[in-house]
Order: sequence, then structure tokens, then C-alpha cells
Amino acid sequence: MRKSHPMRRVVLATAATVSGVVLLLSLKPASDPAAASAAGAAPQQTAAGQESPQGGQQSGAQSAGAAAGTVTGDATQTQYGTVQVRLTVANGKVTKAEAVQAPKGGLSDQKTALAVPRLNQEAVAAQSAQIDAVSGATYTSTGYKKSLQSALDKVKASSGSSSGSSSGSSGSAQAQARTVTGKAVQTQYGTVQVRITVGNGKISKAEAVQAPKGGLSDQKTALAVPRLNQEAVAAGTANIDAVSGATYTSTGYKQSLQSALDQAGG
Amino acid sequence: MTTTLAGGRAARRQTMRRIRPRRSPAVPLLLAVWAGAVAVLWLWWHNTPSIADDNGKILNAGRITGLLAGYLMALVVLQMARVPALERRVGSDRVARWHAMSGRYTLCLILAHVFLTMWGYALQAGKSLGDIVQQTIDSINQLPDMGKAAIGMALFVLIGLTSVGPVRRRLPYDTWYHVHLLTYAAVFLTFWHQITTGNDFAVEPTAKTFWYVLYGSVTALVLWYRILTPIRLNLRHRMRVEAVIEETPGIVSVLIGGRRLHRMGAEAGQFFRWRFLAPGMRFSSHPYSLSAAPRPDMLRITVKAIGDHSARLRELTPGTRVWAEGPYGALTAQRRSKGKVLLVAGGVGITPMRALFETLPGASGDITLLYRANTTQDLALWDELAAIAKERGARLMYAVNSPEGERPDISAENLQRKIPDIDHHDVFMCGPPGFAQSVYEALRGAGVPARRIHHESFEM
Repeated sequence: MRKSHPMRRVVLATAATVSGVVLLLSLKPASDPAAASAAGAAPQQTAAGQESPQGGQQSGAQSAGAAAGTVTGDATQTQYGTVQVRLTVANGKVTKAEAVQAPKGGLSDQKTALAVPRLNQEAVAAQSAQIDAVSGATYTSTGYKKSLQSALDKVKASSGSSSGSSSGSSGSAQAQARTVTGKAVQTQYGTVQVRITVGNGKISKAEAVQAPKGGLSDQKTALAVPRLNQEAVAAGTANIDAVSGATYTSTGYKQSLQSALDQAGG
Repeated sequence: MTTTLAGGRAARRQTMRRIRPRRSPAVPLLLAVWAGAVAVLWLWWHNTPSIADDNGKILNAGRITGLLAGYLMALVVLQMARVPALERRVGSDRVARWHAMSGRYTLCLILAHVFLTMWGYALQAGKSLGDIVQQTIDSINQLPDMGKAAIGMALFVLIGLTSVGPVRRRLPYDTWYHVHLLTYAAVFLTFWHQITTGNDFAVEPTAKTFWYVLYGSVTALVLWYRILTPIRLNLRHRMRVEAVIEETPGIVSVLIGGRRLHRMGAEAGQFFRWRFLAPGMRFSSHPYSLSAAPRPDMLRITVKAIGDHSARLRELTPGTRVWAEGPYGALTAQRRSKGKVLLVAGGVGITPMRALFETLPGASGDITLLYRANTTQDLALWDELAAIAKERGARLMYAVNSPEGERPDISAENLQRKIPDIDHHDVFMCGPPGFAQSVYEALRGAGVPARRIHHESFEM
């Protein structure tokens, strides 16, 4: 029965909501500092798997130009699993860094999702193994740095002579498993390129090296790629279901996957 | 014809009960709601390591508003699930006000969510705010479950529009009500895009599970309490109209018979939502308070013919089947503390007061009823009230307009003069909004604490 003040209530609710949202947004750091408190994956990071943003000209193994090539570092064992880094080098510069292997399962998925994209970025920026560890993922960071160092050593050793031949696994992991990158397939929304890790004639891992980006595509990629990766590993062939709502990406993915399988088989 | 419907022994036994005040669970419930909102915000916080630029800020504002809207939407539906803890302990009127308030707020959040998200996507795709319409169309075409969400959104807007004050007053109650039922469809349609496109649910399986549990339990409660419980109640008690009696000009009582009606657990002061299965009345149900303590074979409601529906009650024929849902309402004996009680009734607001007057526990002299009406002729149920007053030694007062039409002065001073220890009373009040407001102020002026004034109001 107390007097109600509808207008006052509307104003209060609006002001409280707007200022609450603005406060929350402003409390978030602009760029991932190592001290970021949250241990989660930003949408775009899960989107393209463990992928750094496309740095300049991304050249897949098939379409490799003269000056670009990939070098894979040693597989480094950490307490939580193996870390292995692969670099794309063009004109003696690291244009792209990515983790071919990283700890998986349970919490490790979270940590990997958090740490690897950041380490990839740092590696490209620093052009050396002198990069900051990601807090909360120290073991992964240390393993990453070791593998990165070995990859950089190889780059120095061959100093530009790597002609970007076929698949990138020049590292020590060749005996058990090797990675094969399919051809880059153009779709209406962007390029799709699949890389698979093959061991004992089976696909142990599938990932998208390239996938459509920007705008709506981010969402679609986030939605479709992890599912397609899973399907590819489960099926062991390119006969996998398209993800509804992401038909173009799915089709491109399947084509690239097929080409990777052809190479792996041949 | 006099219609003295005395409760007999059962009612007399009720007056001897011990007084057991019960606290309303409103505060713990509200705390739980806030805790849930904080958890939802934490989910966002936890899944967002950083926000790169203004575009990211816009998208994240869209995510926050979307998450909150999704959470509140479940609660808005829950508030209308007729859960007994809400209807009988917190009070149907209060829950209905919560529902109206949170419904409006949720709709605003939904609109903000759609606008911010589409704006953010447009910017992300290198377009500007002006392309937001095209962006929305693209999203509906391309993202999973967005078509459904768009239809649901349109329904929400329609429901919101029909609930805006001036529009609602012009619409027939039934139209408004049936449009409002579309909420269930809208919630269903918008649920799926939250799961398939919501980042937080894609990343966190726990969050997804929590969301399913939240919506699943609300669905279960709605099915149980809005559908199954009424069906069971009516199959069990098989109520029919026994008689319709004109109490005063314009006020009729409907006597409703049935089987083992005392087993429904209705208390004096509560109401049912009644649907009379007669031509033209089948499709709408209306809340009317019991105007006598429930008897094993008989319930009674007393209604003033003000609307379409209540005017038609007069023409009900004995034997008409009755579909009732309830009992609802928290204006019962559990509200009072140990002490004396003043009941204040304005006009047809006498109905729940009449039932309470008969059954409220209390010794002789503990209970007082103040009955306000325009003329002595309009004092419906007066004979019964006088009989009850005599039997249990309660005080009965009335206030009517003077023969010149002058309104009686119910002021703090007058109340204090008539009831010197008024500040030691619990007050139960029922009447039209203006009347209730002025009596409330007089009572406060006379020193009655706000927490001891119990009032049910269905004004939004």
C-alpha cells in the first residue's frame, strides 16, 4: 500500500542496468594481459581452434610460394601433455605460429584455449622464444617455449632454404604421427583449409587451419568447425555431415579434408 | 430471503485455534533471484578474458543483456505457474505485481539484446549502424534457430503492446489474457537460439546443463500446477452451482456445492479462479473470494455486478458445472501476529473479511469489523455479520454516507477515538484502491505499523 512511483522505478531500473553493464564492460581489460583473471576462452579463440589470427599471407603446404614454408619444432612433454609448435616462415620472418599439439582433456582444454592463442600471438610478435608465460598455464607455456625454440633453431639452420614442400612435420614426431594439410578451398565466405594428424593410418586429430572470419562468419565457424573436427576424427573419411546453418563452410571443409586424406593415403 | 450461511461447528472450532504467525518467504525468494542473476553475470565474466575494442563492448553488452533476459524470462513464467508457495504464502497480488514488473524489464532487456547484438555484428562485418536491418535479416537466415527466435521476439513485442496501460484498458480481458498465453510459445521459440548460438553455453557444458535445468523445472512446475493440479481438483470435487441469491441490489452470492470441499484446503480470506461452464462464460475464469468459511458441502462467493462476467453470474442456473482453480491468496489468518485484529471492508470487499470475521482465532472482544458502504442498503451480508458478532462477542461497525450524500470521515483521529488501542491491532483490509489508500494513510497516522497492515491489491 505504500505509494508506488512508477516513473521513479523505471528511471532507477534503467540507470542501474545501464551503469551495471557499462561497469562490467569497463572492468574487462582491452587486450589479454597475462594477469587476466578469467580462465576461459573467448568466442573467437575457440572458433578457429588453436589458431592465431591470419598473419599476412597464410600459405598452406600445397599452395606454398617460394619464400614461405613451415617448420615444426620438437614435441615437448609437459606434466599435462605434449606441446608442439609449428611456424610458418616467410622471408626469414615468422608469420604464423601455432600449436600442433597441446594438452587436452578436462581442465587442460580450458587452459589450452586460454594460453595457446596468446602464445601464438606473442611468438609472432617477438620473433623469438623470449615470450611471456601465460599465468595459470605455466607448464603449457614452458613446453611451448621449448618447442618454439627448437623450431626457430631449425629455421636458422636451414635459413630460408626450406622450400615449403609437402606436409610440415619435419620434427621428431614423424615416427608416430604426421600432419597433413589439405588444399585451401575457397567458399563464398572465405577460405577453408583442414589439417589432419594421421597416425597408424587413422586420423587422430582434425583442425581447420583457415576458416571464414569476420562478422557472422565468426559465429558460424565457432559453431561448425569443432563439430566438423570431431566428425572427421570419428568417421576417418570425408563422408561427414554438414553442419546446418554453415553449409558453405562444411562443404569447403569436406573438400579440404578429402585432399588431405588423399595425400596421407598416397 | 436471508442467506445466513453460518459455518457451524467447523468455523467455531477455527476460532479457537492457536495463533501461529508465519513469515512471508518473499525476502529469501528475492535473495535467491538476485543470487541467480549474479551467477549469470559471473558466467559471462568467466568466459570473457578481454574485450578488444568498442565493437567488442557492444557485442558483450548484447551478451550480458541476452543472458539476463534468458534468466529472467524463466522467472517471469515461474511467477505465473501458480506455485502454492508463491500464491498462498507470498500472495497472489504481490506475485502478480512482480510478474508485471519483471515482465516489462525482461522485454526491455530482450530489445536491448537484439539491438546491441545486431549492431555489433554489423560493425564486425565492416558495416555501420545503418545496416542493422540487413544484418538482422542475414542473421535470421543464416544462424541456427534464429528464425524461431525472431518469431518469438515478435510475439513478445505483441504481448508487451497489449499490456501497456491504455491499450490493456481498452481490450476485453479475455483478449488480453489469450494474447498473454502466447508467452509460452514465445519462450519456447526463443529458448533454442540461446543454446545453439550463445557463446557461454557453447563453451561451458555446465552452463548449458544449468540452463536446461532452469527451463525444465519451470516447465514442470507450469504443467503440474497450472494443468494437472486443477484437473485433479475438479475431478475430485465436482462442483456445481447450487443457488444464486441476490444479497443487495447489484450484489449476488453464488452457492457452490461439491464433494468433500473441506479437503481442498481453502482458508477464509482466500479466493479461487472460477469458470462457470455456461454459454458465454466457458472461456474466461475470474478470481472471486470466498465469502464464508468453506464447508464440507458448500462454498460461497459474493460478487458485485460490475463487469460483463459478474453481471452474468445472476443468470446462472442451479446445476451448472463449475471449474475452479485454487485456493490462492495469502490474506489469511497466518498473516496476523498475536493480538487484536481490525478488519476493514469497503463495499464488496466485505467478502474475504466476512469469512475472516467468522474464523479468525481470537477471544471475545479481540476482533472488530469496520464496514464501509454507500448506504445501509448496500451493506451486503449484514444479518450474517450481526449474527457472527453476537455469537463470538466481536465488534461490528459500519460507516455509510449521510442522507445528504456526505462521505464518512475515516481519519486517524476518528479511528483512534473508536478503537483507542488501534496501534496494537493487526489490520486486514479489502476494498477499492482509492478507499484502501486513504484507510492505509489513516491507519498509519493512528500509529499502526506498516508491517501489520495486510492488504491484497490487484492494481498493477
